[in-house]
Amino acid sequence: MTQTQLTSLLRRNSMLLILLALYILVATTAHGFFTINNQLNILRNIAVPGMIAFGMALVIIVGEIDLSVGSMVAVSACLTAWFVEKLSGGALEPAVWTVIVAFGGTLLFAASVGLMSGLLRQKINVPTFITSLAMMATLAGLANLITGGVPISSFPSWYYVIGSGRFWGVPVPVYLLAIAFTITFTISNFTALGRSIYAVGGNMEAARLSGINVWQTKIICLMMTSVFAATGGIIYSSLVNAGNPTIARGLELEVISAVIIGGISLFGGKGTIWGAFVGVLFLGVLLNAMTLWGFNPYVQQVIKGGLILGAVFINFFIDRK
Amino acid sequence: MTKLSLKDLTKHYGSVKALEGFTHVFEAGQVHALIGKNGSGKSTFVKMMSGAIQPTYGTIEVGEDNVQFTTPRQAQDVGIATVYQELSLVPELSVAENIFLGRLPRKRCGLIDWRKLRLLTQELFEEIGGLEISPSARIADLSVGQQQMIEIVKAMSFRPKVLQLDEPTSALAQAEVQHLFALVRRLRALGVTIIYITHRLAELGMIADTVTAIRDGHFVGSISIDEASPPVILDLMFGDLPPLERPATQVERHAPVLSVSHLALSPFFDDVSFDLYPGEVLGIAGMLGSGRTELLHAIFGARKFDGGSVSVGGKTVTAPNIQTMKSLGIGYTSEDRKHAGLVQMLSSHANLCLAGQARIAPSGWTTKGRERPFVDYQIAGLHIKVGDPMLPVASLSGGNQQKIVVGNWMNNAPDILLFDEPARGVDVQAKRQIYQLIWEKARDGVSSIVVSTELEDLTECCDRILVLRDGQITATFTNDGLDPKDIYAACMATPQTVETTA
Repeated sequence: MTQTQLTSLLRRNSMLLILLALYILVATTAHGFFTINNQLNILRNIAVPGMIAFGMALVIIVGEIDLSVGSMVAVSACLTAWFVEKLSGGALEPAVWTVIVAFGGTLLFAASVGLMSGLLRQKINVPTFITSLAMMATLAGLANLITGGVPISSFPSWYYVIGSGRFWGVPVPVYLLAIAFTITFTISNFTALGRSIYAVGGNMEAARLSGINVWQTKIICLMMTSVFAATGGIIYSSLVNAGNPTIARGLELEVISAVIIGGISLFGGKGTIWGAFVGVLFLGVLLNAMTLWGFNPYVQQVIKGGLILGAVFINFFIDRK
Repeated sequence: MTKLSLKDLTKHYGSVKALEGFTHVFEAGQVHALIGKNGSGKSTFVKMMSGAIQPTYGTIEVGEDNVQFTTPRQAQDVGIATVYQELSLVPELSVAENIFLGRLPRKRCGLIDWRKLRLLTQELFEEIGGLEISPSARIADLSVGQQQMIEIVKAMSFRPKVLQLDEPTSALAQAEVQHLFALVRRLRALGVTIIYITHRLAELGMIADTVTAIRDGHFVGSISIDEASPPVILDLMFGDLPPLERPATQVERHAPVLSVSHLALSPFFDDVSFDLYPGEVLGIAGMLGSGRTELLHAIFGARKFDGGSVSVGGKTVTAPNIQTMKSLGIGYTSEDRKHAGLVQMLSSHANLCLAGQARIAPSGWTTKGRERPFVDYQIAGLHIKVGDPMLPVASLSGGNQQKIVVGNWMNNAPDILLFDEPARGVDVQAKRQIYQLIWEKARDGVSSIVVSTELEDLTECCDRILVLRDGQITATFTNDGLDPKDIYAACMATPQTVETTA
């Protein structure tokens, strides 16, 4: 391997190196970090922001943004609970089919919200920055409206399995994270749709004149992200065993930070799903480490913000050199 | 008076030698034209002299001083200023503010000293002379030519000894070009050494004192303008260039592959009808603003039209859009490579696979490996010079970028290709290769429509030429040793006086 190849390899994986450095630092200083259990713990904790980040990565690569994912998580959790409550007539142990229908209804709702933002963008040319900002408020309001402001606890007794259960020792959300990764990774690398996503984000007019269906491409990405956010909402509803309208506040910022840390350009056309995963993992490890180190939560917030800035800076610096 | 001496100036990008051992002395107080085809190393030279990139090795001397710089700012400090083809003025600010942007004179309290700014600007204007522009005018209110001149004045405010002008006339109308030349001559009289980079060979006699050519990264030669006749210049730029002969084609005019009838698109055209036959290369001529690009867009489904119809293979296409037209075998290469032709940040590989996804990966599943044969085939067939197809397409020269645009469509195996200004910003050699490709495909039955501002390009390339004027096809020429002047006359003339020969 020549030196230029080596530097280019290092450059492309700069964030991975930073993550490795963090791993080594934490593993040597924090007791109980480098155990299988704790690692699985980290993966479970990043499952929801992670799967949303994969969708968000595609949305940002295609040249749009979705600020409503946090509210989408909240409203989906509430909607699922609401569906189950209504379908089962408030039974103590709702039937399995009510849960399945609730999932279907919630995911369908999320997909149609994504479709709507996409159509607004296409037909009246409203930037998704604005529509999704409006959607963020609307969905948060809707979550409160459905629940009347108090959590709905309508789930059957086995429902905790989705958020807290384990198969072969691995938490269920981690499987869902892996599925989301596989889907988005496959799309971005091995499908014509993936090629279109990069082309549309890189130069919309060139993509259009190459006969790529620009709007279909954008709308698919927006719908997918909404559906991932709704899946996240379902996982959270299981974790807290209720449809709670106050969950996932500010999650959109965490997701977008992770995506940027992962080296995805906010201007579109550039970035990888793998990068988004590295970004999410970086934040997850950091949070876990600070808890193990015994930092108080407020200090954690400040450090987290500073380190995001630092990571982005290093990434930017390496990118330009 | 300061000359510019370069010794062994070299720039390597990895194994690619962009510029190799450039050694030459540019004498003081003259306009030195620097010419070379696309990818010859001209841009590398300009960027190196402006401080945007650093030479791998070699020395630069301004006068007797050996200078070194690593940023554009430092280049200005040692006396080399550069004016790029793309303007970098702030449209909402005044002329004076733009010239002194970032170093506006201040009063002691820190506020801007407007009086002094006006004085400084006036001083500068007087020194240069002949500028009929108000220092307080807003940039947005000026013509492109005036903006270009302000860009030069701004560069002059740094008191450079050497001034580089990178294709300053490429966006200017003829009258504005004359104004700009007058300005350049005044700067020359002030003793500035001017490096003038241009593609327009016709300008050389009007402005240059010497002509220096770069070919394949090497200094080829420098001659005084008196010796620079067109054949000598072409020889310098291209080495030996074989004459180009359009092959005789036998177009059978029975069943048209494409029929346009009574097409209307307000305000560009209101009644355009013509037929395109298998294997035909059809040119469309017309003055700027006659709606040529819009016509191609309408046919390609990239733009809705008001009336009329487009038929492909005898069938009228209802509600045409790009996807439908593409599936019917039509392709379109844009006149604006940078903004509408290519995705600059993506690789050559990716750009060659934009339009042809449905053919390359019919199932929707794809891999780099599946795409590679298509990419390699076009790179070889179109003689595209790419180091690594995985690198961003932005790093390629204009001619090679244009070939990528064409190759992108070739990968969709089209029956009809619409070329919008295929020769724009492309050197003679690349242009010829693109024509040869059009003819080659014509032999296989692929029909082409070529739109060009340069009428010579049309007579060189096309079998038949239509003139679009006043919203209609006003003349049809069969290209049989056709003189571009005849087409020019038809583009300008009133419809009654045109004699059609078809």
